[in-house]
Amino acid sequence: MKKASLYILLAVVLLTSCKKFLDVNDNPNSPTKPPINGLLGQVTYSSALNVYRVGSLSANYVQYFASPNPGSASDIYEEVDASSTWTNLYNTMTDIYDMEKLGASSGSSQHQGVAKILMALNLKMLHDVWGSAPYSQAFTSETLTPIYDDAQELYNKCLSLLDEGIALLQQPGSAFDLSTDLDLIHHGEVDAWIKTANALKARFLSLVSKTPNYNANSVLAAINAAYTSNSDDAAITAFDIRNPWAQVAVDNAALVLGGFLSTQYVDMMDGTIYGIFDPRLPLIGTLTQFGDYRGTPNGLGRVGTGINREESYISTSGFYSSTSSPLFIISYPEIKFLEAEAKFRLGNDMPGAYAAYLDGIRASMNKIGVSAANRDTYVNDPSVSVGASNLTLQLIFKEKYKALFLSPETWNDARRTNYNYTGFSLPANVALPTFIRRLNYPSVELTRNGPNVPSITGLDQKLWWDQ
Amino acid sequence: MRKFLFGILFFVPLSMFAQKKISGKITDQNGSALSFANVQEKGASNTVSSDENGLYSITVQNDNAVLIFSSAEFVLQEVKVGNRSTINVQLLRSTNLDEVVVTAFGVKKDKRSLGYSAQEVKAEELAISKQSNILNAMQGKISGVQINSTGGAPGQGVSILIRGVKSLGPGGNQPLFVIDGVVMDNSTNLVGQQAGLRGMSNRAADINPDDIETVTVLKGGAATALYGQAGSDGVVLITTKSGKAGKIQVSVTSSYGIDQVNKFPEVQNKYTQGYTGVYDSISFWPSWGPTIAEAKALDPTHPDKLFNHYGRGYQNGNQTRTSVSLSGGTENAIFSSSLSYFKQEGTIPFTDYKNISARINGTFKMGNKLKFNPSLYYINSGGYRYNADRYNESLTYWSPRWDVKDYKTPEGTMKTYENNNPIYGAYTNRFKDDVNRLIGNMNWEYSPSKWLDINYRLGIDESNDMRTYTAPGPKGIVGERPYEDNGLGFVYEYRIRNRLINSNLSASLKKDWTSKIGTQLRLGTETRAEYYNRVTAEGDELDIPDLLTLNNTKIRTASEYVEKYRIVSFYGELTANYDNFLFFTATGRNDQTSTLAPGNNSYFYPSFSLAGVFSDKIKLPEWWSYGKLRASWAQIGKDYEPYNLNTYYSSYVLSSTGQVLWTRDNTKGDDGLKPERTTTLEIGAELQFLKNRIGLDVTWYKLNSKDQIIPVAISPTTGYTATVINAGEIENKGLEITLTGSPIQKKDFSWEVNLNYTANRNKVLSIKEGLTELVIADQFGYAGATVTMKYVPGQSAGILYGTSYFRYYNGLTDDGVTVQKNLPYIIASTGSNRGFPVRDAKQRMLGNVQPKWIGGIVNSFRYKNLGLSFQFDAQQGMYKYNQLSNFMAAFGIAKYTEDRNTPQTYAGVLSDGTPNTAIVYSGQGVMPDGRNYGAGYYRNVFRGISENFVEDASWIRLRNVTVSYTIPKTIIKSALFKETTVSFTGNNLWLITDYSGYDPESSSFSSGSTATGFAGFTYPAMRSFIFSLNLKF
Repeated sequence: MKKASLYILLAVVLLTSCKKFLDVNDNPNSPTKPPINGLLGQVTYSSALNVYRVGSLSANYVQYFASPNPGSASDIYEEVDASSTWTNLYNTMTDIYDMEKLGASSGSSQHQGVAKILMALNLKMLHDVWGSAPYSQAFTSETLTPIYDDAQELYNKCLSLLDEGIALLQQPGSAFDLSTDLDLIHHGEVDAWIKTANALKARFLSLVSKTPNYNANSVLAAINAAYTSNSDDAAITAFDIRNPWAQVAVDNAALVLGGFLSTQYVDMMDGTIYGIFDPRLPLIGTLTQFGDYRGTPNGLGRVGTGINREESYISTSGFYSSTSSPLFIISYPEIKFLEAEAKFRLGNDMPGAYAAYLDGIRASMNKIGVSAANRDTYVNDPSVSVGASNLTLQLIFKEKYKALFLSPETWNDARRTNYNYTGFSLPANVALPTFIRRLNYPSVELTRNGPNVPSITGLDQKLWWDQ
Repeated sequence: MRKFLFGILFFVPLSMFAQKKISGKITDQNGSALSFANVQEKGASNTVSSDENGLYSITVQNDNAVLIFSSAEFVLQEVKVGNRSTINVQLLRSTNLDEVVVTAFGVKKDKRSLGYSAQEVKAEELAISKQSNILNAMQGKISGVQINSTGGAPGQGVSILIRGVKSLGPGGNQPLFVIDGVVMDNSTNLVGQQAGLRGMSNRAADINPDDIETVTVLKGGAATALYGQAGSDGVVLITTKSGKAGKIQVSVTSSYGIDQVNKFPEVQNKYTQGYTGVYDSISFWPSWGPTIAEAKALDPTHPDKLFNHYGRGYQNGNQTRTSVSLSGGTENAIFSSSLSYFKQEGTIPFTDYKNISARINGTFKMGNKLKFNPSLYYINSGGYRYNADRYNESLTYWSPRWDVKDYKTPEGTMKTYENNNPIYGAYTNRFKDDVNRLIGNMNWEYSPSKWLDINYRLGIDESNDMRTYTAPGPKGIVGERPYEDNGLGFVYEYRIRNRLINSNLSASLKKDWTSKIGTQLRLGTETRAEYYNRVTAEGDELDIPDLLTLNNTKIRTASEYVEKYRIVSFYGELTANYDNFLFFTATGRNDQTSTLAPGNNSYFYPSFSLAGVFSDKIKLPEWWSYGKLRASWAQIGKDYEPYNLNTYYSSYVLSSTGQVLWTRDNTKGDDGLKPERTTTLEIGAELQFLKNRIGLDVTWYKLNSKDQIIPVAISPTTGYTATVINAGEIENKGLEITLTGSPIQKKDFSWEVNLNYTANRNKVLSIKEGLTELVIADQFGYAGATVTMKYVPGQSAGILYGTSYFRYYNGLTDDGVTVQKNLPYIIASTGSNRGFPVRDAKQRMLGNVQPKWIGGIVNSFRYKNLGLSFQFDAQQGMYKYNQLSNFMAAFGIAKYTEDRNTPQTYAGVLSDGTPNTAIVYSGQGVMPDGRNYGAGYYRNVFRGISENFVEDASWIRLRNVTVSYTIPKTIIKSALFKETTVSFTGNNLWLITDYSGYDPESSSFSSGSTATGFAGFTYPAMRSFIFSLNLKF
């Protein structure tokens, strides 16, 4: 009997201590609520990296780069699986979504405003590569298979996000200021964000130049509120280890090959095509062992061994590819070329267009660190200073191509102008009969959201604004 | 009480009231002396063992004494003493008729009383194949159990699946492992860079198979009901060897073996390095160049024949094991101990595995009422693990124009024409695990009276795993080609601590109501607590190129992870038997878990089973010796992993500037998660014929798992890439047949056969509303050929989906899901691929990953001292994606790409149904017909069609052949050796399969993974030849 009561006592003790004993499911490793500026750091950093990622995806399509190997998928327009870029874009937009919600609930209109601008930036890059994509049902997981929103609706959404972002930033009384340390793009300067929003707006509005929707005056209105000098640029300079293009250059220097300049790019820069040497080239790429610059033909692979400097690469000390090089999101020279394009298309201010064109070249030269003398020699060359009356869209886009080295925006320009660059030709052994116009949806979508993914006819299928 | 203490102190028999002495000899049915057989007086405590000549002597206390003679594997015999003083006994070797099997919580029960299927494998059956992993040793020997090596790496993990895929959880349906009553960790830890591809060991690999007395597999719900949710995927009960009272026994086993890759893919040997048929000795492209003759004309240094880069990439491995065991003791204090050393070098150079273990267990009797069993098992295991996926991928890129074995320059840098040399990678890029593990167990049995037993068991399984992943940086020598994966060098350190504590208290009450009706009630409580702690420190970019320490790194990051899991359970079991022929058992268990929210975290589930030995009651024909029917119904609940009720955020640091950034985790939590429930219905029969010479055990079962807790890969557009949902139902139905036979049982010659067969059919009945499919895993394939393994309602659990050939339906309806293999291909008539088959980019069903049936047959022969045993195994009807084959097509390595310069017409029709007549070339560039084929058919079309690479992975193999010889004492005349046995074993000697890659038994994913449909760049399986010597002193 004594024993029995002992067991009962033991059981009671066990049962009561049970609840406490089992209460160990609070994750000690991670919070359920992030700090809002911690999100700000994440979204500014990863948005910039996404610009690198999309730029990297399209660098061979616009022939800035060529693969060191013949028949490489991106050189010859084979299908590539861009699952990681797609996933990165959505991961970033998810964090932006959370920051926007947290900004709204905590009354921080500044964080909300920045969220909308960065959402527009990322969504637009997605739109430019794939067209239709999930947005209205995305980020919340309320449905595990979000539907795809129409591409043109996404485009309009990007524009309205920018307007909403600007309005929020102009609104006084934000509960929290942007952290100067964790705002990796503009370090807490609200005005700089408003300028960037307008710069993006000018870029977005120009995308539809092939359609009746293009409105040069709207572009110019946005430009008026955008950048006025190189110091306004949206860029990041904080990195985990080094600038991602620097990583490509460092890896290549360690013979993990990459960052090979394309023949097309080198020919456009070293005078082969235009008869004048572009002084930016030595500040970007490496000299060969022969003392000159040599590109690699897209589709054919490298001419030399790849280890004996028989061709040019992006340099570990280059403007775009040294350890602490800024990683640009959008910059002043681009705005000047957008202005030149808008004024040219309007046709009523050719001197203005011409001035913007030359300003764009000078701004790019200044940014990259070309000496004034070399800059002026180049600008004054008759092939560049053609005079207002001889200005063509092809010239504007040629200079924009040079100034926006490695920017994902160049692929948009190439498609807008039907790849109308002098000397630009289809790569060797190409898998398509024409230039590439889009990517196929990545496997991560085809396998996990298959029924919703729109089918495409091929990589030569033109997106709605490219018709 | 004094007597009790006295007993503890001096371990002497307590009863000394000698009345009558009986002696005699115990033999087997052949007349051979049986040593160490037990003789016990019924109802008393005196027990003795026979000596090595089978002689015994016992003093009985009662006038009407009955002696019980027993020995492992022999039928127990009771003999009335009467007035005899000499009793000679012949014991009969038992078939599984009157076997005692270990059941839940280590309780030994008569097999005849079980209402469910439980199958046992004994020490000698396990030892025969000399496998280092206990699971390998069990392969093909148990029905209903599918055991697969994930590859042939030293110490590589082995997966075990009992009665099919039941649960979709990440545990991968791995059963519970219990060693001597202690719940044991059998996880496969995948911490560390690409650890999932490195063939990490499952923790059961730590156990030395030589230490094991028996392994019992409890398959169904009723068998495992008392273990609760932990046993929902079955239970593997391991009983280690225990000693016997008497003289100290010493046994030494030593073995040495050679391992080879058992199967290589077939390669082309006509075309050499280059692209579009143009020779280039430094080309990235290994095999798209011209013919060897054409290349030799340009490059006199070109070898006459291509090197087989796969063959040259692998070496002969070897393995050695030495085990020493020592056991013995007195009646009241028995011990058993062993020491073992195992070392294996892999077939991939610079991979190895070692395992050192020490074990001791004991049984101490303190009077008649208290028994104490402590045991301690220490293991140190681990080795260098290389990423086999990466190795095979690099071998694929390596041009066979060059010898991959020539991997190092005199300065110690990588020797290569251009591409990464995989052997240099294995030499410098090194991942090592080092596990120190202690499994401790204390078991007290207290029997205060005949009707009451109280048992308490405390088990601890604690392991520390130190993992290091290092690579040197470039040496900075001019012209040096660094190995790509090494970057600028790195040192990553992982410190993992894992603890599992299990406490189990139970009381058992027995009562015989009449001479025919008896009951037993067991009540108990079990508590399990798991603790996991990991600290990771990663340093990148070495300062001194070859100093592999964190102190020498430029960029350092650190992180940690802690996890706790607890569960408290109460259980009860009522057993009733009638006249020793009808048995009924009911169990109930309530689990309360830490991982589900209140309201969902406590759940009860019952089980019922019934067994009837009808041959006891019904007069059967003479040839039919035994018959039993059994039936059971059981339910089991199951929780999920910790920390899945919320969504979390995690941080990382920008190491150059120091900002801490926060991002939403990729896994979405759900606080409404409920326990999932599996219901099992099982019916079986055990039959014996011809004086028990033939035995048949048949089981039919049906399992339904509802409210599945499923981790789902979801589109990143949802804001997550994975979530855990509570939905769906999977059904498994199956048939298990075991047939045993002893066709010949003569004094000098015996032949025994054991055959088992299992067919399991599973079906996904439903998944979450709104979802049409669940993606379990996918694996890359070139040009859109990525293959996805999915669960789709109405289909088997695990179907491979991928792209296929476009087919001509000619008015038939295309269901859009299946591939109609009998219909002709459509051949393109226009465009750059005209004349070639057209690819259908839509993912369609290409194959089922679950085998239709698995089976094994073991034949054992013994002639005098010579033994021969061989085992065939089969798994039939499953498909796997062969990623290696996809790459071999893309890089022109596969044998069939030798047709690249031969004009041909692809069979099929044009889109209007007319036959295709176009003559085309499959090769690259401009062909004799003047057409530029670009990258060629194999790259433009063929490699993008998954259908080409999802292959029938069925196999039949000669798993094992062993010849053993026990040297007669007439040859070795030494008093020292009691017995000397030499044996020669061959494992995996012969493989029949249509699969074109490495051995299809291996898997791309680690042991324990549910993603079983992928086997491309795996660590190839091996064929082993092992010589072993066993000495008994």
